[in-house]
Amino acid sequence: MTSHATISIEPAGIRWQAMLPVVAVVVVAGFGLLSSDYVVTVLGFAFIYTIFCTGLNFFMGYTGQASFGQSAFAAIGGYGSAILCADYGWEPLLALFATMALSGVAAVIVGFPTLRLRGHYLAMATFALGLIVYEVTIEWTGLTQGYMGYSGIPPLGIAGYELVTVKQQLVALVVLALFGVAVAARLRQSRFGRALASIAGSESAALALGVDIARYKLVAFVIAALYASAAGSLFAHFIGFISPEVFGVTMVVQSFAMLYLGGIGTMWGPTIGAIIVSVLPEALRGLKEMQDIGYTAILIFILIFAPRGLAGLSALFGRVRGRVKEAA
Amino acid sequence: MPNLVEFLQSVVNGIGVGLIYGLVGIGFCVIYNASGIVNFAQGVFVMLGGMVCQALLTQFGIPLMLAVALTIPLVAISGMIMELVIVRPMMHRGATLFAIILATLAAQIMIERITLLTFGDRPRTYHEFTTGGPLKIGDIAIGYQLFWILGCGALLVLLLWLFFTRTRTGRALRACSQNREAAQLLGVPVARMMLISFALSAALGAVAGILVTPTQYTAYNVGTPFGVNGFIAAIIGGFGRAGGALAGGLLLGVLQALAIVALGAGFKNVAALSALLVVLLLFPNGLFAGFSRGAKAH
Repeated sequence: MTSHATISIEPAGIRWQAMLPVVAVVVVAGFGLLSSDYVVTVLGFAFIYTIFCTGLNFFMGYTGQASFGQSAFAAIGGYGSAILCADYGWEPLLALFATMALSGVAAVIVGFPTLRLRGHYLAMATFALGLIVYEVTIEWTGLTQGYMGYSGIPPLGIAGYELVTVKQQLVALVVLALFGVAVAARLRQSRFGRALASIAGSESAALALGVDIARYKLVAFVIAALYASAAGSLFAHFIGFISPEVFGVTMVVQSFAMLYLGGIGTMWGPTIGAIIVSVLPEALRGLKEMQDIGYTAILIFILIFAPRGLAGLSALFGRVRGRVKEAA
Repeated sequence: MPNLVEFLQSVVNGIGVGLIYGLVGIGFCVIYNASGIVNFAQGVFVMLGGMVCQALLTQFGIPLMLAVALTIPLVAISGMIMELVIVRPMMHRGATLFAIILATLAAQIMIERITLLTFGDRPRTYHEFTTGGPLKIGDIAIGYQLFWILGCGALLVLLLWLFFTRTRTGRALRACSQNREAAQLLGVPVARMMLISFALSAALGAVAGILVTPTQYTAYNVGTPFGVNGFIAAIIGGFGRAGGALAGGLLLGVLQALAIVALGAGFKNVAALSALLVVLLLFPNGLFAGFSRGAKAH
């Protein structure tokens, strides 16, 4: 049983094709920079979610596992950055790395026992983790200010120089998102990435080939948590305000919609999905109240009819013409 | 320091809520046994049960028993629609397990939003089935609704047991849970069994919602806690066993009630979710697995 996740179909040597998505992202961002601040904000969200989904893709796409609680690590990043920067006057960048480290440690502690679970059990256990953190952010008002939310978070900056306008921040977010995707791309082509793909293909086969399944799963989970934490921190700095709802179940479903729309397990799928899912509601402004219904309807539709998403479609048309259709 | 009265009072309250969790947990098991999937939207049926019943009662002025008799089939139909529109096409196309779980979660959010747009975000409730009360035993107050919950819960469990052991359809459902392919080869219409299981499961959720609403309130977003707690109940009971889910629900309800006394109301869900993690990690076959032979391999 083969799938796109298990065999590399990337032809080596076609450099310009590989750079095409990068150009597309830069064009989208450039378009944003020429538009109003509102458009810039929407695109900013898209690139923050790009980072979040690229991380999630490690665990769900490459490794074939599932985490329904990734929002927990975004919450650690977001609240960590908010508290460290607003209350203790830390450097935003320093806080970003500190909270990423914290999330990484949390992911190891949580993942070590949890990742032994499979199927529904894994889905529910991770879902529970997300819900626990969500409840804690609401109830632990001494730390998080509960429903009131946390405001007064400074924008991203380095050594006293702050990115004051949203357009400057958008540039920073694009650079960070592309960096995140580049890291993911490198890792995917490595020995590590191939080990993850072997787990996604068949755990017993991977085990037989000498892949330390538990360790690789845990590392993939931690990487996903690091990306999620960074996305949470960036969100806090970008908007300057966070509340528990930001990191609720909606975040989980939204990120899944992006992942499946763009194409789970592909390198650029998360980016494509994040941009489309972020921009689409703005294009359909009339649906303001119906937005969540729209999201979920699109998600269900994709899950049923195009489980590989848009990136999967392009691969189907572009490269593998004549390939025998895989048996389902 | 909680005194004895407070302790007993919270145990009494916990039993009532726990039985509701148990019913939701059985709903999870019914679908899981028939189809091998976990319907994450289970809590939505509880919400719909309460909301629809409330709307029928207040907006149309229908008497209670008639409203209940109408609500249950209506919610059961919503479950069947979910099976026909979402789950069945996905299973036909060989979708992965996680994709189906995700689709049911998305369905839950969609139904919640539709309910929000239709009924508004105001919490609703309606009177207890028998007015008056509560019954006082010493300092412990027991609301009459608790007796309705206990009575209806016991009746439902009995009916379910009769259904699964004495009727043809019930036996076919059990055959599906043991081996779907074999059941199909023996002429059991597996697709129809899945439809029935969704209808039955939704109806169970609706009953739970109708019973529990007078003791608290219902709103478009109460589904998730009931769904999650029902799932925890099913896990505690060893997933797939209806009796275990019921016992797990009672245990969880009491645990939560005690957590409210000890930690405060805000942390009751944290306590329940932590209990889930502990059970998942230490007793993956359920707390009662030791009592029965042939526990499932995990």
